[in-house]
Amino acid sequence: MKKENNPLAPHLQIYKWQISSLLSITHRIVGVINIIAISIICFWVTSLLFGNVNYEITQLLLQSILGKFLILALCWTFSFHVLNEIRHLAWDLGYGFDLKISKITGIFVILGSFALTILFFFLGKGLF
Amino acid sequence: MNSATKKWLCLKYSSAILIPLMIWFIINLSSIYDSNYDEVVKFFSKSLSKLLFSLFLIFAYLFSSLTINEIFEDYIHNEKIKNVANKVLYIFAIVIPLITIMSILNLNI
Repeated sequence: MKKENNPLAPHLQIYKWQISSLLSITHRIVGVINIIAISIICFWVTSLLFGNVNYEITQLLLQSILGKFLILALCWTFSFHVLNEIRHLAWDLGYGFDLKISKITGIFVILGSFALTILFFFLGKGLF
Repeated sequence: MNSATKKWLCLKYSSAILIPLMIWFIINLSSIYDSNYDEVVKFFSKSLSKLLFSLFLIFAYLFSSLTINEIFEDYIHNEKIKNVANKVLYIFAIVIPLITIMSILNLNI
């Protein structure tokens, strides 16, 4: 088959919603959010080279409720991506393909991502 | 080996390497995000932080360029737009980590 004749993926509204499709689509969206966030962090890190003249503004933003919310949101997107990626790697090794197990691991990824968010945030804050 | 197989293997190896680096990074980001300038610079000036953050960026951008390329393959109809989108993606995946790594290598307290 010629490359230009490759079939495209069906549009999202065609799928009947179930845990596997929900996690697959969320995984892609979260992946894109993560790389955008990492790019912003790259600009933040690069800006450190310019000294502390304008850093107070960045610090004020990061210390605000919005800043805390953004970091917690990033903890969740990272947690979700890590857990779902482990699930994908297990599939690649041939484990967890059974429909029932796949649903259970899917639910575990969703619930586990929230638990891991709290764990990462508090580990970072030195509260554990 | 087929190029698609090579790409798939590259994706899987980079994903396996990325998992511990993501955990290391998010815990440390939670620790320093609201710190003052000197503390943030102190963190990025450590040799271990420089090494792990550089590896994190290299694998994060490698992994995301390969996966976003798949999303383009799945959803973009027009070949020209797809090619341009892929080229822009690869340029960003090289330039952003390169500039950031060079910056942290020059960062010293």
